[in-house]
Amino acid sequence: MRFFDYIRLALKNLTRQKARTTLTIIAITVGSLSLILMISILISVRQSLMDTFKAMGAFNLVTVVRDPNSIDNTNLIGSGNNSPTDDNTKKIDDTTLAAVKKMPGVSDAVAIPAGPWFKTMRLDGNDKKTWSSLLASDPSADVFDLILVAGRKLNSTDMDKVVVGSDFLTKYGDPSNPSGLLGKKVLFSSDKGAGYPDWGDLPPKPPFNADKSWWDSQNQGSLEISAEIVGVANNSSMDSQQNYITLGWAHKLMTQLTWQEDDNGMKECQQQQQQQQQAVKMSGNYSNNNSSACDSFRTMTLVKTDNFLTNGYGSIIAKVYDTSKIQSVADQITKLGYGAVTAQNMIDNINNAMLMVGIVLSVIGGISLFVAAIGIINTMVMATFERIREIGVMRACGATRAIIRRLFTFEAALLGFWGGVFGLVISFILVRVVKILVTKYGASLGNLPISNIGNFPWWLVVSVIVFTTLIGMLSGLGPAIRAARLNPVDALRYE
Amino acid sequence: MIELKGATKMYELGGEKIYALDHVDLKVDKGDFIAIVGPSGSGKSTLANIIGGLDVPDEGEVLVDDVNIAKVNDATISNYRNKKIGFIFQSFNLQPTYTALENVMIPLIFSGISLSQRKKRAFECLKAVGLEDRVSHMPNQLSGGQRQRVCIARALANNPEVIIADEPTGNLDSKKGIEIVELLKELNQKSGITLVVITHDPGVARQAKRVVEIKDGRIR
Repeated sequence: MRFFDYIRLALKNLTRQKARTTLTIIAITVGSLSLILMISILISVRQSLMDTFKAMGAFNLVTVVRDPNSIDNTNLIGSGNNSPTDDNTKKIDDTTLAAVKKMPGVSDAVAIPAGPWFKTMRLDGNDKKTWSSLLASDPSADVFDLILVAGRKLNSTDMDKVVVGSDFLTKYGDPSNPSGLLGKKVLFSSDKGAGYPDWGDLPPKPPFNADKSWWDSQNQGSLEISAEIVGVANNSSMDSQQNYITLGWAHKLMTQLTWQEDDNGMKECQQQQQQQQQAVKMSGNYSNNNSSACDSFRTMTLVKTDNFLTNGYGSIIAKVYDTSKIQSVADQITKLGYGAVTAQNMIDNINNAMLMVGIVLSVIGGISLFVAAIGIINTMVMATFERIREIGVMRACGATRAIIRRLFTFEAALLGFWGGVFGLVISFILVRVVKILVTKYGASLGNLPISNIGNFPWWLVVSVIVFTTLIGMLSGLGPAIRAARLNPVDALRYE
Repeated sequence: MIELKGATKMYELGGEKIYALDHVDLKVDKGDFIAIVGPSGSGKSTLANIIGGLDVPDEGEVLVDDVNIAKVNDATISNYRNKKIGFIFQSFNLQPTYTALENVMIPLIFSGISLSQRKKRAFECLKAVGLEDRVSHMPNQLSGGQRQRVCIARALANNPEVIIADEPTGNLDSKKGIEIVELLKELNQKSGITLVVITHDPGVARQAKRVVEIKDGRIR
């Protein structure tokens, strides 16, 4: 029997029971649809993450963090965690930076402080506040490249200058005219109670008789520090809420000014008084003890606390010449006692997470396909029962057992095949519709990596069809074998 | 051409062995016209099925051109049914969803003939039974006699050496029955096709060259 005749006969038999065939195919379509959508969402999410990394140049970067064990929760380009209570970790300072810069394979490295921590920021003249997010680094280091849409990059000597990111632009400016923001001021604000930085106003000198209520009044209100916008960056593919300042300014902002009582003068005065009193006592000449006379010697001095010096940097980001050197650089960093985060770690993490998600999604898709497979089995069992006499006639006309078996297997495989094809077609249409909706009402969906979802790779198309066809074949095999085993004499006599 | 030697077929019924065929010896020669007669349950159909290769005996031999088809594989015996035998059934066993032409094409599918050749050959067969103007009719659009003619055309499709007809006139009125028997006789006489006809119609049996009477699985 010719191959093409199997297909012709199978098609003919399937169209005989149109309703049943349609329902069975719908079941497989739903199964394959869920599988396709889940796989393609998984692929596209992963792809867009990888694209983001690539856009960041992340495949050439190694991040040095304090904790040698924390490689999971750190952003690749981020400030890390330099909380001083972390006693087990090693401080990242300029010595570390120098050591990392000297490592073979490293082209340049830049220190990222874990601050400054302003609470909110807003554009001058605009009351809308947003959470402040600042990344400080040395602009002279050639580590990561910001793409600017307006203005200039930061210079190492820039103070109170800021390059704002994409989120800032969409919130406060006109995305079609980013230069409109240039020259405007950003006001960063923090609670007064958090302390005064070494920039702008000095903290008010506490009076001699400063009591709790005075200090409480000092802690109320907020402190505002302004910076001029010199550039607008297009960082939408990475950390779009991030804004950028120089390390030099950050150093100033991270240095805290506090008034501390200097009572050395007063103590000296009191000692002198005591000595005088003793001398008077010995001479027998008593006088009133006037201790307040020394208060004028009490002084307040302004003390600078350099947080960079005490706490070190949050992290160091090193750029590596060649992606293949990443691991060796990471190993050298680990040997120094620091944690090293590479894109590979993150990719591994993403892959692990995706694998888990993938397993869960596949199980769901698998269940729906399993149900569909039962549908196929049911349909084929029904078909063999209905056609027992026909099987007898075919056998009488010279069909071998193998031909009967193949005929029914072909039918089942065709059910699976069409299910896979319709699943693909429907998911393709669905994705198109979703894409149109997203471009129309896009903002509400945020940063969903929807753009990649519709692009089914060819291997997915082929494997889905092969897979559903195979499921059809396997489901049909049992009923087909039963049909082939029928005794032709009994089959012809069957009523 | 076909020779049965001690062909035996039995069934177990309630632990008791019942012989459908009991050591039957029969020779079917080329061009023969054999009528197998006997009461129902006597083993007529079993005998015809064994001759046609639809069934195999539990004991004994079925020699077709000196090959014992009781001992060959499924592919060989299927090929034998396909090429050398044509079956005609009392209830026609036509495919209700196929046209007359498509019904006649069924045996040709299994012999691997191309679609155009199949159509050509099936049309010839329908013409031979006088149904060239009923080619695209569905079985339910045909009369009983016409249906049996389609069945005969289907049996003729692969130019068989033997046609086995199990009660070919059983579902037809006597006038149509006579027509069908005449048609079969003509095929026997003109084309030299061997006929094995199971019947309990004495009128049909009378037309045969040889009558084999069977009772309780034995030839008398």
